[in-house]
Amino acid sequence: MSKRLWAAAAVVVAAVALSASAAGAAGETVGSCIFDELGEAQFEGIEGDGFTAVKELKTQYKAGDKHAKELKEDFEKDLEGCLEAPNPIIPEVTEIIWGGAAFVVLLALMKWKLFPVVKNLMEQRTQRIQDSLDDADRERAEAAEVRARYEAELADAKAEAARLVDEARDQAASVRADLQSRAEADIADMRERAAADVEASKRQAIADLQSEVSDIALGAAEAVLGRSLEDPEMQRQLVDDYIARVGADQG
Amino acid sequence: MLALISTILAQLTGDGEAGLSAIGAGLGYGLAAIGPGVGIGIVVGNAITAMARQPESAGVARTTMFLGIAFTEALALIGFVVFILLLP
Amino acid sequence: MNVFALDFPPVSHLFVWPDFLFTDTPVALNKTGLIYVAAMVLTAGLFWAAGRRRALVPTGAQTVAEAGIDFVENSIIMQTIGPDGRRYLPFLTTLFFFVFFSNIFEVIPFIQFPANSRMAIPLALALVVWAIYHVVGIRAQGFYHYFKGALFPPGVPKLLYILVAPIELLQILLIRPLSLAIRLWANMVAGHLLLVTFAVLSAALWGTLYVPAVLPFAALILLTAFEIFVSALQAFIFTILTAVYIGGSLHPEH
Repeated sequence: MSKRLWAAAAVVVAAVALSASAAGAAGETVGSCIFDELGEAQFEGIEGDGFTAVKELKTQYKAGDKHAKELKEDFEKDLEGCLEAPNPIIPEVTEIIWGGAAFVVLLALMKWKLFPVVKNLMEQRTQRIQDSLDDADRERAEAAEVRARYEAELADAKAEAARLVDEARDQAASVRADLQSRAEADIADMRERAAADVEASKRQAIADLQSEVSDIALGAAEAVLGRSLEDPEMQRQLVDDYIARVGADQG
Repeated sequence: MLALISTILAQLTGDGEAGLSAIGAGLGYGLAAIGPGVGIGIVVGNAITAMARQPESAGVARTTMFLGIAFTEALALIGFVVFILLLP
Repeated sequence: MNVFALDFPPVSHLFVWPDFLFTDTPVALNKTGLIYVAAMVLTAGLFWAAGRRRALVPTGAQTVAEAGIDFVENSIIMQTIGPDGRRYLPFLTTLFFFVFFSNIFEVIPFIQFPANSRMAIPLALALVVWAIYHVVGIRAQGFYHYFKGALFPPGVPKLLYILVAPIELLQILLIRPLSLAIRLWANMVAGHLLLVTFAVLSAALWGTLYVPAVLPFAALILLTAFEIFVSALQAFIFTILTAVYIGGSLHPEH
């Protein structure tokens, strides 16, 4: 589409350029204006046209012809016209018509279609950018909300986990304490029982030992004395007492 | 032919009134340009001072400066018009 | 045909172009008229192309048209009329682009003629603006209040009104449109004359002395750049002054 536009612009520019060159040849400068005047000169009663006519007029004027003198003066006035042009500050009607028509047509086109289209385009874009900015704001707010919710949930979950861990830890501790106390009680029990056993064994052993020792001691004493004691019952009694005394001293 | 061209030459170089009006036109335009020249200088100078002092309002200062130049310049342009009108 | 050593055309001959179409009728077309038509086609084509391509990120013609609208809206209307001046956005945008395009032909090769260096359209546009700001003023404030506000600006000592009122009347009826037209026209005439002077000088020096022609030619290049700036600036000033006048009619001074 823009190619067509460029083509249109090129045609317009070419037309203006052509008219410019034509105008330049036609009489932009004084020299070319005079040249044209001389080339196109025609006089009443003088044969030929252009430069030949001017030459002919000159010879007739030099010869003193009255008619030729008038013609010459008229022609000089025409040539002076090349120097004079309409005052540049006076507007030319044809230019007002063409320029004014161009402006009025342009204004009508702009008001009717061209301007509103472009302006609407700009406003639509502004609206669109505003909308997308608003959307972005809203989405950001939503995202923040969702994030806050997730964070809250996450915090809850963390607290729950911590609570569970604590609970488990408490439970473990209580179980351990329980087990420990039970084990300790068992151990104490066993130790007590063992001690009682030992005590009983000790007593048994002491008792056994006592009778054994007293027997051995009696036998030994009999053998040593070489004679049996008159009253074995009394003797036994005596030894037993002694041993008890010894045991008491020792134990 | 030569006579004709010499007539034109006489017209162009200006004998009498034409020459005087050309001198008048030149002088008139020169004189008309003095005041607006000074005026535009003052306008632009003060606009630059304003812009330097308050760069944040440079836009307003620039617009107003162009308006001031346009109004001051009108006098020089009237001189220019007289110059064009007086030219032979 | 080179009559003189330096064939400098008289001033008027630089601006008057012969008709080449419909000669000797009221609608005779010459180069100036053709440039106006070209300016119209260019502006319309620019906006047409801008409206066709509905890209989100503007390119080419769309950028230019939208930047123009944005410029007229924010740098001209907002700073001079205010938000209620948006109604005049299409008119002011059209004015800006039309004046700019008819100016810029001053530096387009092979055309090189600012159409606004003819008084026709500057004067016609100035008269249109003149009519618009009067109509806007009368419609917004009423006939009596509009002229009272314009002729008797508040804050002036009563005695001075004898002086101020006629000057203000002259101002709104005559000076405003004339200065608007003359400003554009004279700027373009002066620019065209400068360019022609240096071009003729370059050509003449090149034809005789060769080397010194470099100087006027360099000046010619610089002046061409300057005239591009002036073309845009004058379009801007024409538009902003229109906006200022409309704004003045719409909101009376307090």
